Amino acid sequence: MKHSLKTLTDLKQIRKSAGLGLLIVIVAAATLEATALVQYYFSQKGIREEASMRAESQMEATRNQIMDVVNQTEAAVRNSIWIAQWALSVPDSLHRVAQRIVEDNPVVMGSTVALVPGYSPRHKLFSPYVFKKEGELVFRSLATEDYDYPSQEWFTKPIELDAGYWSEPYIDVGGGEVLMTTYSVPVKDRSGRTAAVLTADISLDWLTDLVGNVKVYPTAYSMMISRDGHIMVCPDSSLVMQATVGELVSQMEDTATFGELTRTMLSGASGSMAVDYGGKTSIVYFSPVERTGWSMSIVIPEEEIYSGIRRIGRMVFLLQILGLAMLALILWFLARSQIRYRELNERKDRVVRELQIASGIQMSMVPKIFPPFPERSDLDMSATIVPAKEVGGDLYDFYIRDEKLFFCIGDVSGKGVPASLVMAVTRTMFRTVSAHEDSPRRIVTQMNDSMSDMNESSMFVTFFCGVLDLTTAHLCYCNAGHNPPMLLTDEIRKLPVEANLPLGVMQGMVFIEQEIDLNRDDAIFLYTDGLTEAENAEKEQFGEERVVEVLHGRKSSEEHLKNISRQVRLFVGDAPQSDDLTMLFIHYLGADSSAIQVPAVSEHRIVLHNEVSQISQLEGFIEAVAKDRELDLSQTLNLNLALEEAVTNVVLYAYPQGTTGEVDVLARVGVDWIEFVVTDSGKPFDPTAAPAADTTASVSDRRIGGLGIHLVRTIMDSVHYERRGNKNILTMTKNF
Amino acid sequence: MEVVITKKDNETVARLIGRLDTPASAGVAKDLEPLIEAASGVVVLDCSEMAYISSSGLRIFLTVRKAAAEKGGKVIVRHISNEIRSVFMMTGFLNLFEIQ
Repeated sequence: MKHSLKTLTDLKQIRKSAGLGLLIVIVAAATLEATALVQYYFSQKGIREEASMRAESQMEATRNQIMDVVNQTEAAVRNSIWIAQWALSVPDSLHRVAQRIVEDNPVVMGSTVALVPGYSPRHKLFSPYVFKKEGELVFRSLATEDYDYPSQEWFTKPIELDAGYWSEPYIDVGGGEVLMTTYSVPVKDRSGRTAAVLTADISLDWLTDLVGNVKVYPTAYSMMISRDGHIMVCPDSSLVMQATVGELVSQMEDTATFGELTRTMLSGASGSMAVDYGGKTSIVYFSPVERTGWSMSIVIPEEEIYSGIRRIGRMVFLLQILGLAMLALILWFLARSQIRYRELNERKDRVVRELQIASGIQMSMVPKIFPPFPERSDLDMSATIVPAKEVGGDLYDFYIRDEKLFFCIGDVSGKGVPASLVMAVTRTMFRTVSAHEDSPRRIVTQMNDSMSDMNESSMFVTFFCGVLDLTTAHLCYCNAGHNPPMLLTDEIRKLPVEANLPLGVMQGMVFIEQEIDLNRDDAIFLYTDGLTEAENAEKEQFGEERVVEVLHGRKSSEEHLKNISRQVRLFVGDAPQSDDLTMLFIHYLGADSSAIQVPAVSEHRIVLHNEVSQISQLEGFIEAVAKDRELDLSQTLNLNLALEEAVTNVVLYAYPQGTTGEVDVLARVGVDWIEFVVTDSGKPFDPTAAPAADTTASVSDRRIGGLGIHLVRTIMDSVHYERRGNKNILTMTKNF
Repeated sequence: MEVVITKKDNETVARLIGRLDTPASAGVAKDLEPLIEAASGVVVLDCSEMAYISSSGLRIFLTVRKAAAEKGGKVIVRHISNEIRSVFMMTGFLNLFEIQ
């Protein structure tokens, strides 16, 4: 259930992450595409401009070359006009003018001076023609009947225009089938009458090469059309001079565009125009050649212009796709690691939370409310446990059963969760076993046997278990490898302990039990080695000597523990706590210690043996006490009597016959009172419990005993007996 | 504690000198055995020189008194100090003895 739930949240996570990733990829793709498009647009514009520039500069260069020839030809012809004018009077010399033009100008293939019919009285028609043929000059007259030069364009146009004129190109049939054109100018005589036309033929073979070789792009081509729309140069040589653009246009699908294009071109304009032809779009750049009326054009298929940028575009697109794929991949990994990280974090948080709960549970396993027995006046106890980690392996426990204080302290080997589990087991076992066992040895032995049995992780526990009889102050204890507790009496020393092995090491171990009688006001301080082995930054340990030192001074158990904790903190400083630290302080106050002792002005003490003769010493003792209070004889004797009765009781009855014992007599003299405390270690005996003597009985009924306690009661104002530890304590007070 | 016993006629007088405390009572009890034997007559316990008596001493007094009661004799406690009188009072002994 929990697993499927986890998968479901995972799925949600993944879907969420995937959605986000997709969004990022889409945005990135859109941005990239937009950038690419803008770049493409501007690049295309730039490339188009560049193509246009390249075409125009090519055309410019070509035109310049053409113009060179044109200018050369025009100059050659114009420069010969004056000679021709001079030679008009002698027509037979005119051929020399033509000859000179041909000879002097390599570009000129042929030349003639054709007289206007009727100008020469001798010749109706006269046109001597000189031309190059295989390197030789050939002379011929054009004034033949079948040619009729006066009707030829080259003759009529210049006269008509009264200016130099470039003829339509033509194929020279006689001169070797070459493309030719003729420049002709009118020649006027001195009277200003047009007398002749001077011409120069030039071959346009070079033009085909020149224009044909203009290659702006591999598949681009150039064309040249004449003033009349004849095709002069074009990739398809079969069309040269065989067709006009008009004829070609009529075959096109998009007649309108082509029509406009040719019209524009033939009007002598320059520019560019996009046309569709054969399923492709081409850009046609065109520019006129001045004076000749020709129009040159370069046709560049659009895809050729953009082939570079399109190739780059394709590459960019591919790179983009690749980049986006990588981005998506990275995002996917990121999302996955994010999920994993979040999972790890959640797991960590969960562990921390669980550890906190575990810590709480563990802390609730040991008594934490102090004072633990507020109703008791014979015990002052405090304990503290500070795990180095969230949970620790230290433990302490205590409780009272049948007027016996069962207590223990322990330290599980290791730290953290494993140790805490063993700690919990140990504590539970202590409670279980001690519920029906009074002997620390048997408690420890049973615990050891059970724990060795199930101890697979071979963890062991150093353990100290004590049972303090609160009525007799008799302490039985058994140590299992724990460090000896401190015993605080008049001095501070280690409680003598047998080392024994820790719990859980080996089954069937024999543990030795020890015992000691505590006195009123004695205390036991139990601790784990986290105290003595607390280290400061210099790796120095707190040590037992410091423990003994800080235990000095009379303090409540709580103050003692607070003081020790403070001292340890001061000692350790900033060094991290390396081990769990547990302390248990048991201060045995003895029974009825709640009675507040009124301070005495003076005190007298005498210790007697359990011999009747010793009682005599009480007389001197009382006299010393009486002196302090300046008592009169009667009062002195009464006090003597009361004390003697009390002491006699002890001497005679407290100790078994044949044994020696002591009677401790303490007299405390107050401002207006005297208190006797008679203490013995004999068998428990409460003299106040004896039946009262009947002082009214007749002689025969009168019993011999019971007089002593009767006198004590009568003389003293208060008499109180208590059994504290192994002691009988009788306290008697007399007020004045 | 010193006990001095004198006999005169039918009267046996025991002079108790000193403190009749517990340590002394064992000896006094022995010293006063003649009085128990003479309990059929008049027994006088002269306390003029007795400074102190504890319950052990009182017990001896009571023993003597009981003996006298059995034998039909008479016990007279003579010359007791105020302090001892108060002890007798506390214990109800004033009613058991004839005090002179």
